[in-house]
Amino acid sequence: MFAKTIVYFAYLLKTSVYYKHSKLFFYDLLENPQSKMKSYFDVFMICLVMLSVFFLVYSVEHELSEAGEFFEQCVVTVFISEYLLRAWLFSDSHLIITKEYERAEYLNTPFSVFNSLKKVLGKKMEYMFSLFAIIDLLAILPSYRPLRILRILLIFRLFKLFRYSNSIKVFADVLSSKRFELITLAIFMGFLVFISTIAIYLFENNSSGGNIRHLYDAFYWSIVTISTVGYGDITPITFGGRLVTVALILTGLGGLSFFTSIIVSAFNEKMYTLRENRTYAELSRFENFIIICGFGRVGQEIARKFEKDQQPFIVIDTEENNILLAKEKNYLYIQDDASKNTVLINAGINAGASSILCATGNDVINVYVTLTSRFLNPEINIIARANRDDNVNKLYQAGANNVIQPFEISGLLAAEYVGQPVAFEAILGILQEQKQILMETLVVYPATLLENKKIGDIDFKNRKLTLVGVISSNKIHVKRRNRYRVKNQHFYFNPENHFELQAQDMVIVLGRKYSIEHFQDQIEKSRLRSGKRS
Amino acid sequence: MKKKIIVFGYNNLSYEAISRLDQKSHDVLIIETDLSLKKSAEEKGFKTKNIDFRSDDNLKSIGIGQSIDVIFCFLQEDSSNVFLTLSARAIDINLDIIAIAGSSQSAEKLIAAGANKIIDPYQICGQKIHELIKKPDITNIIDHTVFGRDDLHIAEVEIPIGSYLENTYSSTLSLSDQHNLVLIGIVDKELGDNLHFAIGEKDHKLDAGDIIVVLGPSREIKAFKQEVEKCLV
Repeated sequence: MFAKTIVYFAYLLKTSVYYKHSKLFFYDLLENPQSKMKSYFDVFMICLVMLSVFFLVYSVEHELSEAGEFFEQCVVTVFISEYLLRAWLFSDSHLIITKEYERAEYLNTPFSVFNSLKKVLGKKMEYMFSLFAIIDLLAILPSYRPLRILRILLIFRLFKLFRYSNSIKVFADVLSSKRFELITLAIFMGFLVFISTIAIYLFENNSSGGNIRHLYDAFYWSIVTISTVGYGDITPITFGGRLVTVALILTGLGGLSFFTSIIVSAFNEKMYTLRENRTYAELSRFENFIIICGFGRVGQEIARKFEKDQQPFIVIDTEENNILLAKEKNYLYIQDDASKNTVLINAGINAGASSILCATGNDVINVYVTLTSRFLNPEINIIARANRDDNVNKLYQAGANNVIQPFEISGLLAAEYVGQPVAFEAILGILQEQKQILMETLVVYPATLLENKKIGDIDFKNRKLTLVGVISSNKIHVKRRNRYRVKNQHFYFNPENHFELQAQDMVIVLGRKYSIEHFQDQIEKSRLRSGKRS
Repeated sequence: MKKKIIVFGYNNLSYEAISRLDQKSHDVLIIETDLSLKKSAEEKGFKTKNIDFRSDDNLKSIGIGQSIDVIFCFLQEDSSNVFLTLSARAIDINLDIIAIAGSSQSAEKLIAAGANKIIDPYQICGQKIHELIKKPDITNIIDHTVFGRDDLHIAEVEIPIGSYLENTYSSTLSLSDQHNLVLIGIVDKELGDNLHFAIGEKDHKLDAGDIIVVLGPSREIKAFKQEVEKCLV
């Protein structure tokens, strides 16, 4: 009966949407490194810990007021709930039970509720003995009145801070990567301290006329000397004692420099990953960024434009010189091969990147990166550069949305300049938005002043705009003249006066920035007005 | 009369430029010292010559300073292009010199050396990619029109003496109704050589010599050109 209730309860939890949602919520709050909530929570906890330690220090010499006591109670409540929540999040107990139950059913063996509960408990114990859980517990315990004697353990609250900050985790990582060297050094130093403690005690004990009263003094002196701190409160007087000191100082210097060099080299090795992690962290703040693969001349030109637009982007390049340039300009960068899956995933191809630009001077790499990106993210917008004519189709086959040929465009511009210099100026003017004149699209949103309006009824002339055409995927227009296929839409050049605009059509106009913006504002206003009415 | 053009250096860019030029109205000669490149240019049917551009006599011998109207400096090295521009400008002040630049610094040097137009393929490529991200629709349209993958083109039409357009106003052109063309801009010679975009800011009086820039299907452009020139006789 008991077992049945437990299993029933486990299945209830498994199917409960509410339970799943709340667990997910707390996961986001406490554990999910990608979640925004966690960062807010971490900051809140850091403040709380600092405040509570401040009260602790204050209470050393003053009596805490009632409000202070109340605050302490609140802090402890928060700590306890955090501890319990983390224990809850650590494992899915109901899944363990249902799994055990299903296994027993399948194998036709009796289901032992105690075995599964033991497993559940084992998992939770695993949590309780993890380093951070112990610290958490030690930060709570001293608040329990009978354990007031352990007040000093409140200092563990400060250790709690490590949980909320990344840098300390990094430091621990660095140290653990050099575990072998550090253990070797620790054993060596341990022996050294042991030998010197015994030696100095033998030479400098009180009965020999020295300052050392007992073994603890000798140990203390050894540590102070080996670390080259040398307070001088205990100094050797005998010849033998001084000999030990000289030897200890020399070996201590060696040991210390060895220790320093281990730490420095470990950091050097980790530096690259650390910096990369920072880049990723910064990148994860953006929702709509662009990945630029290749920071040659083309990549630099694009980056310069994006910087001006305040459009976030990240540069990937293998070349040292190019990366140096990106570093100088303070761009986000990854120095690695963009054709590797991991590099693109880390760069966020599936986490917020809207477009990827393959702009290296090598078509082979561009094709490969295009293929990799398309494989990793079927939705992303890929623009690739083709340096040779025959590679354009390959890039499209690899999955590029657009292919740009720098030499084709340049050759065309050169030819245009010779044949039609004025038309060339016009093209360049529109391309580069010289004199504030630009081509822009006006989207016909539903229920705005443009919807269902005939072209002839819109006074473009008065608005100082020139109508070029309409882009639409609406089938209503199919029979109109001047239809050009552009991707999966149609471009209707110079539409007739009775051309009726439909929702989601795009009107292309040429004009000054002001006129276009003004018209856009009017459209937006009409949308708001109609929104209010409906 | 055919325009005489010399292209220094045969590569993707020069091939693209030459093939876009109207072969009937342009006489093109390619200068290439690399024999294999020279051969492949000849296979495509282009006239080629192998001379050393570093000597002024050689440059004069191919017609610079006399019959040549335009030169393209499409050599690989920026320094070679600067040298060539400098030499050619010294021989002929009125020569039209178009050069490619591999970096923004060499663009400045080419201008100082006397080039009329600098083309920086990398800059243009970067710009195009930027536009594709910012305004994909417009860029696609421009690709289809200006870059001629479809039948839409931007073309310029000069108003000849005696044309019916003489002494009319730009506001009365109504190209979109009558000719299925969109008026992009006008060069009003009375106001100088600058292009004025046709965005209804000013009503230009059209005279002989003014240039109209239009966008439209090539058939309509041709028809419009014929109509403008019809009244000549």
